[in-house]
Amino acid sequence: MQEIITALSNGSIYALMALAIGIIYSTTQIINFAHGSVIMIGAMTSYWLLSIFHMNYITAIILAVIINIVLSIVIYKVSVEKLGDLTQNSGWIVTLFGAGIILDNTARMLFGTEPKAYPFLFDGKVIPIFGTKIMVHEIMMILVAVLIGALYQIVMQKTNFGRAVRAVSFRPDTARIMGIRSNRIVLMCFAISGAVAAISGALIAPITFASYTMTYSVGIKAFAAALIGGLGNTRGAFVGGLLLGLIEEIANMIVPGGFVDSISFLIMIIVIIVLPGGILSAKLFNKGELNAEKI
Amino acid sequence: MPNSLIKANSMQKKYSRIFKMVCAAALLISFVLPLFAGDYYMRLISLIFIYIILAVGYNISAGFSGITSFAFAAHYGVGAYVSAVAITRYNMPFLVGLLAGALASGLVGLVVSLPASKVKHHYLALISIGLLEIVQQILNEWQWFTGGSGGMYIPSWDIFSISLNNFQKYYVIFIIMLFCVVLQRNLMKSRWGRDLIAIKNNEIAAAGVGINYSKYRIAGYFLSSILAGLAGSVYASFSGYLSPDTFNFEFTVFILLMAVVGGEGTLSGPIIGAVFVTFIPMLFNAAPDLKQIVFGALLVILPQVMPAGIAGTIKKYFKEIDNNNYIVEKTEGNEFDIERNVIKNNSEIEDILVVKGLTKRFGGVTAVDGLDMTIKRGTVHSLIGPNGAGKSTTVNMITGIDKPSEGSITFNGKEITGDKFFNLTKKGLSRTYQHVRLFNNLSVVENVAIGGRLFYSYSIIDSIFRTRKMKKEERKSFHEAMEYLKIINLNDKANYDPESLSAGQQKLLELARALYMKPDLLVLDEPCAGLSETETMEFAKIIHKIRNAGISILMIEHHMDLVMEISDYITVIDYGKKIAEGDPASVNTNPVVKTAYLGEGA
Repeated sequence: MQEIITALSNGSIYALMALAIGIIYSTTQIINFAHGSVIMIGAMTSYWLLSIFHMNYITAIILAVIINIVLSIVIYKVSVEKLGDLTQNSGWIVTLFGAGIILDNTARMLFGTEPKAYPFLFDGKVIPIFGTKIMVHEIMMILVAVLIGALYQIVMQKTNFGRAVRAVSFRPDTARIMGIRSNRIVLMCFAISGAVAAISGALIAPITFASYTMTYSVGIKAFAAALIGGLGNTRGAFVGGLLLGLIEEIANMIVPGGFVDSISFLIMIIVIIVLPGGILSAKLFNKGELNAEKI
Repeated sequence: MPNSLIKANSMQKKYSRIFKMVCAAALLISFVLPLFAGDYYMRLISLIFIYIILAVGYNISAGFSGITSFAFAAHYGVGAYVSAVAITRYNMPFLVGLLAGALASGLVGLVVSLPASKVKHHYLALISIGLLEIVQQILNEWQWFTGGSGGMYIPSWDIFSISLNNFQKYYVIFIIMLFCVVLQRNLMKSRWGRDLIAIKNNEIAAAGVGINYSKYRIAGYFLSSILAGLAGSVYASFSGYLSPDTFNFEFTVFILLMAVVGGEGTLSGPIIGAVFVTFIPMLFNAAPDLKQIVFGALLVILPQVMPAGIAGTIKKYFKEIDNNNYIVEKTEGNEFDIERNVIKNNSEIEDILVVKGLTKRFGGVTAVDGLDMTIKRGTVHSLIGPNGAGKSTTVNMITGIDKPSEGSITFNGKEITGDKFFNLTKKGLSRTYQHVRLFNNLSVVENVAIGGRLFYSYSIIDSIFRTRKMKKEERKSFHEAMEYLKIINLNDKANYDPESLSAGQQKLLELARALYMKPDLLVLDEPCAGLSETETMEFAKIIHKIRNAGISILMIEHHMDLVMEISDYITVIDYGKKIAEGDPASVNTNPVVKTAYLGEGA
């Protein structure tokens, strides 16, 4: 029981992180390789606001979200905007990776190398459900993730902004002609992605400890989740995230601790080889035309 | 030869002399350096040589095959550990360990590049992060194999049971490095290299000249991971001690930076990059924390301000150095005509292409609906119809870019329905595109020459050793490419970048490339779109020449004057259905066609 809850709660945060990658991917067709670092910065800044400035949780998270939004916009401005046509030019892979390296090492200098114990929500209160003790924090992880996922889906389907995003992702140039400011839409997607990253980072930090190495220990799992599920859509992000949570828990039981992540990544690689568009591209889920993303 | 080329020739000689002198100087310095440099510098330079091998490997992947990978630290690590284990635990000789390391790394590379056939290239960058993490964990946790985080020691280096000192090690590494650099040059300057560059440039056009891009990509990545593994193996024996920390994210940054600084996709880039990036950190000895931040900043800034790196930027100024020598040599004197170069197909089949019940649905839309069409050998067959009638979709299905939902296509009496694009070119089908698809990283003459890649017969061994056979074939190929350039009057621009040509000239260049593939059937998708009146007339003349040489042509075109003038037969489609066909005169007077073009009651 406890394992299932852990798988679900971690999985939903992975889903959230994958969703943030998908938000950027769906408009620009690029993968934010600095995303792990952005998640880490979200966790670290909220930790510092909480423990050094003794702010309350809500204010700290909101400030961390704002910082991350600014950060993501800066990342876009500095490392992507000037590159021009992103489908022709793959320079963004290197520049975004470089941006991540800068963030990681700045964080190491600012926050130190020591992992910090991040406080749980509701002081780690435990409630008994079905005979096992479950932390309220874990339930909150699931709730927040589902809420944000649902909200994002509604925004995408029902609002003008959502329609603009879908237009830009389909044909950036045509969208521009139709009066949609493509650049601004992309910028906003980066901002939203940063905000979601901050929340996911802050929620998972109590479980993994907060340190500058979160980029590697947590952040890159976002990529695994996104790839396993299928890049660029909400459903894929949640399928991938939850599956990754489950895979991890199962791997935890059968292999020594140090190999758990290897198993996750191995499964990711196998999924890509077998189903290039992620689990959701399997014929089982697609009636008629195959939507797998190909060359 | 035209004057401009002769001029280019003398310039080329001048600059290539400078280039050769720089190379000779670098060689000489590396050769005599150990005689007076201290132990510290000798080790440092040896290390740079190892990094050059690694950078050459990464360059083949990122620069030539277009796969940006973060896993080269992992490949390097796999090579290092496998060779170390082979040497220490299984007491294998050094050279066997070297090979084992390189091969193991190559195998890992092969596995992770398998999806390359199916997904966009940036997926591979993601997969490579996963691979890096997996290798990190294995190095740290698999105590029995790697000695864990404590690291492992490798006994001193010996070749044929002669133990080497640092001085001798230096020369061994130097020779291995030279081998790798020469290997890179010879491969990339052969047809294999041009094919890789073409794929990186334009996948569809590459498939159009018959390159199976997924195979080439995987092969390219395989080769580069072997080289990275080789570098790792050399490093293991050179340093004598391995620790998992050597092969982490920071080292990945180092590798990326070597490529970015030196210049991806240039031959000398890896060397320049390795030297620079090894020396940059020395500026930060006082503040090691800053080093990674500066590296990161360089990775962000350099691709934007200097996308071609140091070598690429220099090359831009001295473009001629890198151009192919063969084109400026003397060509045969006699007049060239297309006819002589058409491969006569002996088949008696009169109908070169038969399309039956061809249907394509995109979701709910039926773009082409049960189309029947027959093209007779040696004719110019035009496919016309209003915008959105399904012409391009039809042509895409015939050339294998789109898969038909229903129906069959028979070419030269053989069923080709659903065949892959790059296989069709071998069967004698070539095409041009509605939007020009040229290889912008190759010169004008190389763009044509790549069309003739099907007729090469020299092997990869020939190109590694630059045998006479290889040189002869290359020379012949470029001479012929020049002849095709003469047909389209671009022979004086052979050394130019395709991007510097006008829109009309680019279209012609694409035609020359398709023609050099010596097809039975040439498919032209709106060849005259965007061409001026005179250019269109020029085009018509060339198409006449081609037809007279015996090549059948299927053409989509909107210029009605042109279509009526040069076509032997016309098929008109609207809403995916055939509404009329016949010779130009009968189509011209057909009331159904008029209605389709001009609306009801016209």
